[in-house]
Amino acid sequence: MSRALAYTGVLVVVALVQAAWLARVQVWGAALDPLLPFAVGMGILRGAESGAVVGVAAGLLQDLLSGGGPLGVNGLSKLVVGFASGLFERSIYIENPLLPAIATFVGTLLGEVLLVIVALIVGLGVPSWSGLVAKMIVQAILNSAIAPLLFRGIRAIETRLQREH
Amino acid sequence: MTELIAARRRMAIFLGLFLFVVVLLTSQARSPDRRQVGAIGTGVLTLLMPVQAGMARIADGVGRMWELYTEIGRLRVENARLRGDVEALSRKMAELREQAAAAQRLERLLELRSQTAYRSLAAHVVGRDVSRWFGTLLVDRGSRDGVRRNAPVVTADGVVGRVIEVTLTTSRVLLIVDSRSAVGALVQRSRDLAVVEGRSERTLHLKYLSRTAQVEPGDLVVTSGQGGVFPKGLVVGRITRVVQEEGEYLQEAQVEPAAALDRLEEVLILLPR
Repeated sequence: MSRALAYTGVLVVVALVQAAWLARVQVWGAALDPLLPFAVGMGILRGAESGAVVGVAAGLLQDLLSGGGPLGVNGLSKLVVGFASGLFERSIYIENPLLPAIATFVGTLLGEVLLVIVALIVGLGVPSWSGLVAKMIVQAILNSAIAPLLFRGIRAIETRLQREH
Repeated sequence: MTELIAARRRMAIFLGLFLFVVVLLTSQARSPDRRQVGAIGTGVLTLLMPVQAGMARIADGVGRMWELYTEIGRLRVENARLRGDVEALSRKMAELREQAAAAQRLERLLELRSQTAYRSLAAHVVGRDVSRWFGTLLVDRGSRDGVRRNAPVVTADGVVGRVIEVTLTTSRVLLIVDSRSAVGALVQRSRDLAVVEGRSERTLHLKYLSRTAQVEPGDLVVTSGQGGVFPKGLVVGRITRVVQEEGEYLQEAQVEPAAALDRLEEVLILLPR
């Protein structure tokens, strides 16, 4: 219960920071999205179930706070990314900052492709492909940059929760 | 076996969540805005929106401060550029004013040149005698230009002095205010003859004026043409004070020179035709 509460709190704070602050700072149309590395990190460190649950919750929260689109666009893409990351549970050594970054890079690209597919299915407009690909790559680089830090944060929370029990 | 159950459980959870999100998405597809937040969503938004709005306000404040900071930098650069422009324009304006003033002075000299029966030679003042009050000055015309000793020197305003020393390219002019200077003069209104002497002061001394002469401050004093240096009728100055002492046969007066002797830049040297 305390774990769920702790992660809910972290999710809410990260989602708020993303919606209120990070979304304003755009690099070639891409903005830092810490919720995605968070879902990837949860999948890798805690398994596919946690990755899927955190992914869908993070995505839905993002859909709610960021406004505009239908609820579930980000929810669906982050659900898949979180779950897929869980398939590599504990096989990525997070002490090496490069591995979380690579995992997040791939996860972001997957998430972005899913976002485009979902957007097309629900009838949302999709910008030109060349711009989209550039934005995806920049988005992946930005997310990868903060992934090692977020992974360590998740592990610190886990260590603390285990110590309390 | 346990692994298989766990895998199935994982897949079940994933598919359950996937189905949930797909249903959520399709349920909204029919709505005109393609977005229906629902009761739970509204509840979450009611809780989080004030926090998000507060955070957005902070971001706005920081953004405004950043804009202000960059604006200050931009304004500094612009200010420096404008200051440079103002300085350049001020220099240009001073230059143009100087040219206009010189043109005005030269125009008046030309007028005088056409009025006098003498041949006139324009000269620039290139040096002053700094050791005494307005004693002498140096002009850039000499014997090469035909300048001779005792040639009268004037401006459009009046008499300046006479040449006392000539080299090939320059001449030294003794100003009428110098104590060595004496010019035969005439009070223009009363036609009384006198002599204007310098005192090495700003003003001149009108001497040997008959006691019966009806002179008063404001009277114009011109050269008399006597003495053989200055031609008749050149303006010397204006009487500012008349001095009549008890028992004296003659009276004296103080004369303000007509030419601005302390600000001379161009002069005319009068030469016989």
